[in-house]
Amino acid sequence: MIDSADSYGLRVRERFDWPLFISASLIVVLGMVNLYSATSVYTGALAEVYVNQLYSLVAGGILAFAVASIDYRHFERLGYVLYTAGVVLLLLVLVLGRDIRGAARWISLAGFQFQPSEFMKLSLIVGVGKAIHEDPRSDGRTLRNLVAPLGLALLPTLLILRQPDLGTSILLMLIFGSIMALLRWQPKTVLFILAVLACGIPLGWLYGLKDYQRQRITSFLDPEADLQGAGWHAHHARVAIGNGGVFGQGFLQGTQNQFKFLPDQYSDFPYAVLAEEWGFVGSFVLIGLYTFLSLWSIRIASQAKDRFGAVVAIGVGAMIFWHAVVNLGMVLGMLPVVGATLPLFSYGGSSAITILIGIGLLMNVSMRRNHFTAARDLLMR
Amino acid sequence: MSLLVQRSDVGEFRRSYKWMALVVILAFLVILGRVFQLQIIQGDDYREEARHNIIFEVRLATTRGIVRDSQGRVLSANRPSYNVYVVPSRLDMNETWPKLVQYLELGPEERERIEKRLEEILSDPRTDRSARKFQQILIKEDVSRDVVATLKTHDETLRGVDVVTVPIRYYPNGDLGSHLLGYMAQIDGETLARRRSEGYSEGDRIGAAGIERAWESHLRGTRGWEKVVVDARGQRRTGPEVERLIDEPRRLDPVPGRDLRLTIDIEIEQAIERAMRGHVAGAVAVVDVRTGRVLGLYSKPSYDSNALSGGGGIEALRATYRRLVSDPLMPLLDKTTSGAYPPGSTFKPFSALAALEDHLLDSKTRIKCRGHYELGKRMFKCTQVHDSVNMHDALVQSCNVYFYQLAELTGMDRIAKIAMDFGLGSKTGIGVNPEASGRIPTHAWTTLRHKGQFRVGYTLNAAIGQGSSTVTILQLAMAYAALANGGTLYAPQIVHAVETSDGAVVQEFSPRVRRTISVKPEHLTLINKALEGVVNEEKGTAYKERLPDADIAGKTGTAQTSRSSRGIDPSRLWYFHRDHAWFAGFAPAKSPEIAIVVLVEHGGAGGRAAAPVAMRIARDYQRIQAARLESKAAQRASSTGK
Repeated sequence: MIDSADSYGLRVRERFDWPLFISASLIVVLGMVNLYSATSVYTGALAEVYVNQLYSLVAGGILAFAVASIDYRHFERLGYVLYTAGVVLLLLVLVLGRDIRGAARWISLAGFQFQPSEFMKLSLIVGVGKAIHEDPRSDGRTLRNLVAPLGLALLPTLLILRQPDLGTSILLMLIFGSIMALLRWQPKTVLFILAVLACGIPLGWLYGLKDYQRQRITSFLDPEADLQGAGWHAHHARVAIGNGGVFGQGFLQGTQNQFKFLPDQYSDFPYAVLAEEWGFVGSFVLIGLYTFLSLWSIRIASQAKDRFGAVVAIGVGAMIFWHAVVNLGMVLGMLPVVGATLPLFSYGGSSAITILIGIGLLMNVSMRRNHFTAARDLLMR
Repeated sequence: MSLLVQRSDVGEFRRSYKWMALVVILAFLVILGRVFQLQIIQGDDYREEARHNIIFEVRLATTRGIVRDSQGRVLSANRPSYNVYVVPSRLDMNETWPKLVQYLELGPEERERIEKRLEEILSDPRTDRSARKFQQILIKEDVSRDVVATLKTHDETLRGVDVVTVPIRYYPNGDLGSHLLGYMAQIDGETLARRRSEGYSEGDRIGAAGIERAWESHLRGTRGWEKVVVDARGQRRTGPEVERLIDEPRRLDPVPGRDLRLTIDIEIEQAIERAMRGHVAGAVAVVDVRTGRVLGLYSKPSYDSNALSGGGGIEALRATYRRLVSDPLMPLLDKTTSGAYPPGSTFKPFSALAALEDHLLDSKTRIKCRGHYELGKRMFKCTQVHDSVNMHDALVQSCNVYFYQLAELTGMDRIAKIAMDFGLGSKTGIGVNPEASGRIPTHAWTTLRHKGQFRVGYTLNAAIGQGSSTVTILQLAMAYAALANGGTLYAPQIVHAVETSDGAVVQEFSPRVRRTISVKPEHLTLINKALEGVVNEEKGTAYKERLPDADIAGKTGTAQTSRSSRGIDPSRLWYFHRDHAWFAGFAPAKSPEIAIVVLVEHGGAGGRAAAPVAMRIARDYQRIQAARLESKAAQRASSTGK
């Protein structure tokens, strides 16, 4: 049933997903403009940061195009291989990881440093996608059907917790949970899972977390208690955002940023820089872009030709969505300070490349969407 | 596999998409709501806080008022002190630090101590502005101008090194008049808690004694402030685009403190210092009898106000303070007002006046002195056998027996009343250093003190200024001034005027009379004649010490300090058991201008130790006055000549 290569290629080009491309590109451009302001504070030394990010984005963009141009059914075929590769990299981190601020998350490969835990997100999406793809069901699923995918998700999550990197572990589970929400479950199974979560969270708090992790979360619950210590970052980020007002202080004019009150202002807190300089208007544009990207991923999933495509689209969409929500929630003081980057906006090579590859996968699924669904959509409009 | 089969499989997911879209929209709506709250509803508050974060009010130092003597010569002023600081986070320990050590000529021990401290600070893991590595650390205080010049020339290579100039109080006369002028000290916690509302803060210097403390509010001035932009690390930012962030008002100029013109004459202080050179400890007060203005106030041993005001650094200050506190001669005590001493025979004129005023004893009545006086079983001694003496002789020769009998006739309360009228036993109100009130015993007080047992012997002792009687040097000077000026008791005055820094008079103080004492002028004349006789009659107790060019009248006194000293050769006594030597009087004898009271602590006989000091002061005073008259006349002559 597969069409000849020529006409297929032509069709694919016609179906290039411009809304996806443009919204992602806009975030990237905003991110680079913002990174310029965030790094301008430190003259000289951090110009390197800017150039590094540029390299990462170019590399990520090329990879994204490469990923988009290979039919995703090849990835489906290699699903478990990709998953295993991700887990092996995580194991390597535990063995040769480089210690940065008390956590080993990085490995060096041919002169480049990267965070395997970032790539694991994609590996997990592909791995779980493969598992679901091969296990079609029309009636509600039970606990037994959860075992295999949960095992796939827990293995890397526990490895990442060992690094330790609480933020990435949580994000991994959130992505996994979102994919699971796609499936149809028996009502009693849903109740059971909810009950397990209700019991598991307190236990995890008591035995699963390290002291500093607990401290970060409690400092979130009482933000003014420790302004010089753990609450300092979060507090000054909020001040920066509030300082932006409606139209912002203007590019390179945010005093909280320019006078070094923002910590990690190019990796974890770049939104605070944007909010201070561009105000509510800038915030609205950025949040709008993330909303659009998340909803667009759902649309791509709904038009996917097969189960694997739908799972991958939802997985990548969930990755973008949860990253944005956790990061913004943290910067806005609604969630505890856990390290989560703002997709395509934050500084960070591994993160940028991972998200760009994810966008490539979305594009891949979108370009190969179903004629019928597309036609139906057209009719419904 | 066919596409159709696959497509039907997707049906399982279909119901979820709507819910997912709903979750996405809700989540971003909540986030947008929070952004709205922070940026639009609370935006103004946060803008204020952001501004508050970067704008600091730097205090602008004011200059403390200058203190001058009656002739306009500077007694205390300000000079700059250059303190060297480093900011550890900006300091290069390998390049800059050794250079700095060399320029400051730090010893190896000091260098090691500071290096240890810097390393400790640099290992502080905190990165926010409260971390000490971003703050200035004091390396050396009050370095010389040469060192400052060296540091300035090598400014380029000394990153992280700051020279901060702070004003330091400076006393050009060193330890002369230090008790009177006082000194400056860093404000202590207790004082700070009490006076924070007056604008004091940690690290401020405040007058700690003397004029500096008593007139602090006038001398101090008001601090100003200036707004500056500082980043999170505490580093100051400048430039036009930064200045723009500062809101109005940007600056409040400091107001300099008021200057003081004292009644003190530094030349008289110097004369006193010269006259007291032969003695270890004591106190002198010189007062203008016509106004009550204090011309000289001197306490020995004294201290260097400069050393206590902290110019040389905290270590030097601590050492000085330790030394002063442990000195048994009590250099920190202002003995002119803070110490009360038995007045001895200098009290006798007041006993005599009491008897005369109440007509209990005729001045011509003669009494026989056999060298002692028996009262009941007790024997009261005289200095020698004076034979037959009247009141004049008794004062001139300081005969105790005469005064014992006088006391018996007059009674304790009459003597006390006259003494108190002359201001003895109560504070003078000079208001510089803490004042002792001294004590003039009354019948009631003595009875109470001795559990209801009053004995006439107490009265006898009181009449010759022994027993429970104590006075301060300044009290006695004011009392003798009253004797000399016909019975007007002045309040001592030390500040003549308050002036602005450009010399305009803000407030001028006129002499203040405490009371006019109702004593008959002929009685005063009689007493003053006797005081003249003390110096000028052959039998007078100060006759041997008189100076040909010093015109002075007065009374010597030898106050016992220890019972064990009786009958032992004074030169062989332990120093602290020796008697206090007094001389109280006025000069010139015929038309008095100044009252002089000299106390030589443990100096022995008043005639031998204290009288010569007073003579020399009187002589120098007359010389100073003569020289001033002459220069004035010369000025007038030259101005009229033009």
